[in-house]
Amino acid sequence: MKKERTGDNCRPFKLAHQILSLTGISFERRSVIGFVELTIVPLKDNLRYIRLNAKQCRIYRVCLNDQYEANFQYFDPFLDICQSDPNTRSLEVFSQFHLAAAQKTDPDHNAGELHIQVPEDAAHLVGEGRGLRIGIEFSLESPQGGMHFVVPEGEGTLTEKSAHMFTYGHTARLWFPCVDSFAEPCTWKLEFTVDESLTAVSCGELLDVVYTPDHRRKTFHYVVNTPACAPNIALAIGPFETYVDPHMNEVTHYCLPHLLQILKNTVRYLHEAFEFYEETLSTRYPYPCYKQVFVDETTDDATAYTTMSILSTHLLHSIAIIDQTYISRKAMAQAVAEQFFGCFITMQNWSDLWLAKGIPDYLCGLYSKKCFGNNEYRYWIHQELQEVMTYEEQFGGIVLDPWQPPASGARVDSKDVFYFPVRNVHTMSPRYIEVMRKKSHLVLRMLEQRIGQELLLQVFNKQLSLATNAANTKIGSGLWGHLLLSTNLFVRAIFTVTGKDMAVFVDQWVRTGGHAKFSLTSVFNRKRNTVELEIRQDCVTERGIRKYVGPLLVQLQELDGTFKHTLQIENTVVKADITCHSKSRRNKKKKIPLCTGEEVDMDLSAMDDSPVLWIRLDPEMSLLRTTVISQPDYQWQYQLRHERDVTAQSEAIDALHNYPGPATRKALTDTIENEQVYYKIRCRAAHCLTKVANAMISLWAGPPAMLTIFRKMFGSFSAPHIIRQNNFDNLHHYFLQKTIPVAMAGLRNIHGICPPEVVRFLLDLFKYNDNSKNHFSDNYYKAALVDALAATITPVISVLQPGAPITADSLSADTKLILEEITRVLNLEKVLPCYKNTITVSCLKAIRRLQQCGHLPSIPTVFRAYAQYGQYIDVRLAAFECLVEFVSVEGRAEDLSALLAVVEGDPSPGVRHRVARALRAAPPFERGARHALDTDQLVHRLWNNMNSQLSNDARLRCDLVDLYYTLYGLKRPLCVPLPEIQAMMKQMHHRERERLERERERMERERERLREVREVELKPIIKQEIVETPIKDELQVGPMLTTDAPTELPVPLTHIKEEDDKIDIISVTDTPMPMFNEVGKREYISDNAAPLPGIPGSAGPIGFEPGMFADRTDLGAPKAKKKKKDKKKHKHKHKHKHSKDRKDRPPPLTPGALRPPSELRLREETRETFSSLSSSQSPSEDISLTTNMSF
Amino acid sequence: MTESTEKVENICDARRRILNIAVSTVLLETGFDAADKVSLETLTEMIQCFITEVGNSARGYCELAGRVEPVLGDVSMALINMGISLQGIEQYAARPSRHIIQPPQQASVPRTPSMLSAGSKAKPAPHIPFHLPPLPDPHAYIRTPTHKQPVTEYEAIREKAATQKRDIERALTKFLSKTSETHNLFNTEDNQVYPLIACKPTFPSYLPALLPTDQVFDFDELEYHFQVANRTEDMPADKKENSDNEGDNGGDNENANNSQSETQDAPLGSSPDRNKSGG
Repeated sequence: MKKERTGDNCRPFKLAHQILSLTGISFERRSVIGFVELTIVPLKDNLRYIRLNAKQCRIYRVCLNDQYEANFQYFDPFLDICQSDPNTRSLEVFSQFHLAAAQKTDPDHNAGELHIQVPEDAAHLVGEGRGLRIGIEFSLESPQGGMHFVVPEGEGTLTEKSAHMFTYGHTARLWFPCVDSFAEPCTWKLEFTVDESLTAVSCGELLDVVYTPDHRRKTFHYVVNTPACAPNIALAIGPFETYVDPHMNEVTHYCLPHLLQILKNTVRYLHEAFEFYEETLSTRYPYPCYKQVFVDETTDDATAYTTMSILSTHLLHSIAIIDQTYISRKAMAQAVAEQFFGCFITMQNWSDLWLAKGIPDYLCGLYSKKCFGNNEYRYWIHQELQEVMTYEEQFGGIVLDPWQPPASGARVDSKDVFYFPVRNVHTMSPRYIEVMRKKSHLVLRMLEQRIGQELLLQVFNKQLSLATNAANTKIGSGLWGHLLLSTNLFVRAIFTVTGKDMAVFVDQWVRTGGHAKFSLTSVFNRKRNTVELEIRQDCVTERGIRKYVGPLLVQLQELDGTFKHTLQIENTVVKADITCHSKSRRNKKKKIPLCTGEEVDMDLSAMDDSPVLWIRLDPEMSLLRTTVISQPDYQWQYQLRHERDVTAQSEAIDALHNYPGPATRKALTDTIENEQVYYKIRCRAAHCLTKVANAMISLWAGPPAMLTIFRKMFGSFSAPHIIRQNNFDNLHHYFLQKTIPVAMAGLRNIHGICPPEVVRFLLDLFKYNDNSKNHFSDNYYKAALVDALAATITPVISVLQPGAPITADSLSADTKLILEEITRVLNLEKVLPCYKNTITVSCLKAIRRLQQCGHLPSIPTVFRAYAQYGQYIDVRLAAFECLVEFVSVEGRAEDLSALLAVVEGDPSPGVRHRVARALRAAPPFERGARHALDTDQLVHRLWNNMNSQLSNDARLRCDLVDLYYTLYGLKRPLCVPLPEIQAMMKQMHHRERERLERERERMERERERLREVREVELKPIIKQEIVETPIKDELQVGPMLTTDAPTELPVPLTHIKEEDDKIDIISVTDTPMPMFNEVGKREYISDNAAPLPGIPGSAGPIGFEPGMFADRTDLGAPKAKKKKKDKKKHKHKHKHKHSKDRKDRPPPLTPGALRPPSELRLREETRETFSSLSSSQSPSEDISLTTNMSF
Repeated sequence: MTESTEKVENICDARRRILNIAVSTVLLETGFDAADKVSLETLTEMIQCFITEVGNSARGYCELAGRVEPVLGDVSMALINMGISLQGIEQYAARPSRHIIQPPQQASVPRTPSMLSAGSKAKPAPHIPFHLPPLPDPHAYIRTPTHKQPVTEYEAIREKAATQKRDIERALTKFLSKTSETHNLFNTEDNQVYPLIACKPTFPSYLPALLPTDQVFDFDELEYHFQVANRTEDMPADKKENSDNEGDNGGDNENANNSQSETQDAPLGSSPDRNKSGG
């Protein structure tokens, strides 16, 4: 059998032991002087070169066996990734170089930055199986990644200021030379010499603390006897306070000064996690000790290393805090789970990352199921599933193990799917890693369903006991390979334990990307008493979606009970007739049994003659799938009311958004009030009710939605309009009390503004809020109230002349009240700060919202001040979010430049990362929109950072790749054309102008027509509504469009943005909609669409398209049915033409034949068109807006 | 205090004035036309002393006889003992030329503050003789039931507490915004209407946020509440006790101490019920 090349056998040597000694650790200079000694065992006699990993270190000397000094070369390709093609600016090229650079230093390819030559005279030292010691002296100055010094400014000694340092990420090469592979475990001796007042916490057992002769410093000696790999070695040094866990004395917690009290509270239940895992896996915790260090300015909440975790100090909370408890407990439990898988058992290759990530997630999931309950668990899984599906549909299917192709079936090469290489963790987008982790978890959970939880745990147990045995042996035994886990090993282990061959499963879900998408329709056949189901997989060609073949569970709730049917899915369309068990007999009063065995009474009056109450697909989430189930509204309502599964309830709520009506309202109201229902469902129902109420506003009578519920639940006994004194002892009520005001704030009346009643209600909540008798802090509640106030704000209807400055006097009465409240609580926070400054965070967002809606002048000074280093991290991030959003609206180059400066050089690595992500999430301009910010300087700046500046921070580099992709796509950015193209463009420019002349004439005529049309229009209606509503809806409920459109008017800007994304997907399909727009755009060019230099066709930013209103009336609501028909016809008729259009669309109108017929370009254009549509919020204004408008 | 002494003086004055009138009347009857102020006063003093002496003496006799109230005989005895003949006193009293002094105007009786009565007085038990005084209010010997406040009261108190709290907060923030740097939300020069106190960077920044000061909690108390009290949820009686105890020192909020002491009583009356439904 040919031995496969894996991460652990590619090197010509094995690592037996490593000594790491850091001596000169200086906080002032942020530098480290150190020494490592690796003991390697060569696997061959003629070992001439040894390649190790080391980055950003200065290497002074390499010595073999303390005697022979060796020559070495240092080469880091990340310092200039595209060295051989310096002028390229396209991401495609970059990706290739990027992967090459990562592989050139990948220890799993026997590569590394440090290239040591074994000198001639030392050749005799090398012998197979004989240990060779490589000593390396090195230093590190102001590290840019991997190690972080937190040295607060201000007076006082370092200890008083709580200066500390720690390592982050899993890239050990950034702080000491090593074999930076997860597949090379060895034993360790770690020594750290630090100031006398400081504590060094590192992996392994603390052997001794020795004072230096001058008694000013001390050395901490740690030893790791269980083999551990270099990426799992970490270090934290600081003036820590120590707390030994009272339940398990092998667990020690460290925190920064003054935080001991809340540390004790935070770690209160950690021992339960240990007990749970040990019990579940029936294995002892593999290490002799465990340490938790809470430090400031981490990038992640928790990172697990061998025997220790480095956690964010922001996880700490006092006993009076509710919301944070869930997060902290889960993060800590997760870190403990990673001790078993991830630290003790590591991965063999990068391709096995999914196991190293997924198994701890799975274990942590089991723990949180126990800790937080089954509902929470299922809800969480459901959320994760949706998140993964959304990501895959946007970016492409994630292949968990891309190394080995599945045994059968063609596979899309993953390289083509993503804009970054997925074959190395240093080149993956951080977001991808996050989603991949979630997907791994889901796949493991699916595996659990296939083979049973007990057996799966036995597999884990087997791996752990093998590893435990191996860990106790010496390297000579050759058993250390058992500490590694790979997909193949895992499949084999499953087979050994269970006798089941899971290869097919692995091929299907691990080695193939994407997920299934089912749409289900059903018809009841009365004569035969059957339900005719049709399950289609129509979208298999779309991104991230693939065809599924195999069993699929359908669950029918009938009058007689729940019935499960397993259908074999073999084709894209599967039809099945399912005989109903129950005759139609709803006149008989009888209780209806549910899947849980309960029997309930239902009001069956809404049903027609079908005995089916509701239908679910794959209720246990045993596939990676999205489902689109078409069933009538009353079935969704029954599902929401009576189905006991939270995922079903959640799906029902999603569906009920589309069915506004009294029955839906009743179902939602009952759900909110039902104490038996899971609280998150109740909260979602509240938000859904907001939408439903807005959609049926003209029919709505009585007090605003939810007001009565709120008063009933929280109003005081004798005066319902005054809220009771806070008592958060019932956590369900607490979360509802937080959610309902926010949901109510989303209500809009017939004028599209928040009803004054609701605003008054919210202000009263502020006024009467009294927390004096509560056992919990109300900071999150108050923050939610501020959020609610922000949500009431709608675009200003100004009486001022446009252009007049906004002053305090020009505010409306309600706005004044709101602003007064916001300033008051924000000012109060300065004196009496609340936990994590949640109120400030909400206030900043509220102020930004006021600015967005034109109530306040859009000035960023406040946010800049709050974004300064030295503010609390959450506040900073909120301020940065506002600034990022500000840039995308106002589009000033210096603001963007300031943000990029933060990305490049903020003291906190977490902030750099988060700002980069925020920029990606709200890009300063749309791709190809010819925005003023879209300059070549920006391209060069980003490129320079990606290409060389961020060589030591892989995560930030990949963040910027994400950003670059968002802004420019895969190809060379338009604003930096190649020199030869530039010349051609000049010619084009001339012709283009002529064409525009002609266009303008035609447009004048169009305008005439438009003006007539507008008179017919009664209300301003957002054009976009049509596009946004999925086609599915149009088929079902035509008339709904009428009610829907006007009420959606005050959609916040952000929502509209999201919708753009959706549109993008739709526009690629064959619906006639985009074609209309394309044609429309071609014909009607707004008169301030400046003649563009070059690029025919993409006629720049057009805010307002003259044809749109004309068409709106054509397609308008009263003729919805006709529209449907029309569309269908249209579709058939023009299908051919349309697809032809797509290929060579420009010819009929554009004179130039230069335009490359790339589909990508096409997509860009449609997107652009739509975004400009969406930005024209109030069509009654007769101006074309070029950018995102401020209201 | 001063008020009460004044009242006493007033009363004395009134009596003295009557005596004065009486003396003057006798003088007129006797045939004087005028009298010196001093002599009049002297005579008044004398008659006052005389009457006092008679009264004291009469009480003495009365008590000697084992009575509570003097009878005519006691007065006679006193007069006789003082060596005053009772002869003709009846005639003198009925003499035709006598002046009748208008009875002094009934001075409005100062209202004695009504006793704080709580609860209804219990009927005396059958074995208690009827002449014994009635039982005092029940709170004096059983307990004090605080009465359920009328509906409107609660509302008013909450209103007042909220207003007070808000006023304090507003004053505080206003003061701070006047005395420190501010951010301006508008493009205008003056920043009077909605000033935002400028934020100052703190190092380390996490301390104030992780150890908030907006509310003061007694963490031992909370510890007890969550560890002990919460575990016995099935025993509502216990829980009620707990929550009552904690009501006193369960953490005071901001500066609203004043308002709290006022609100303390009000919601307690109905709170146990609500606690149950809430908890």
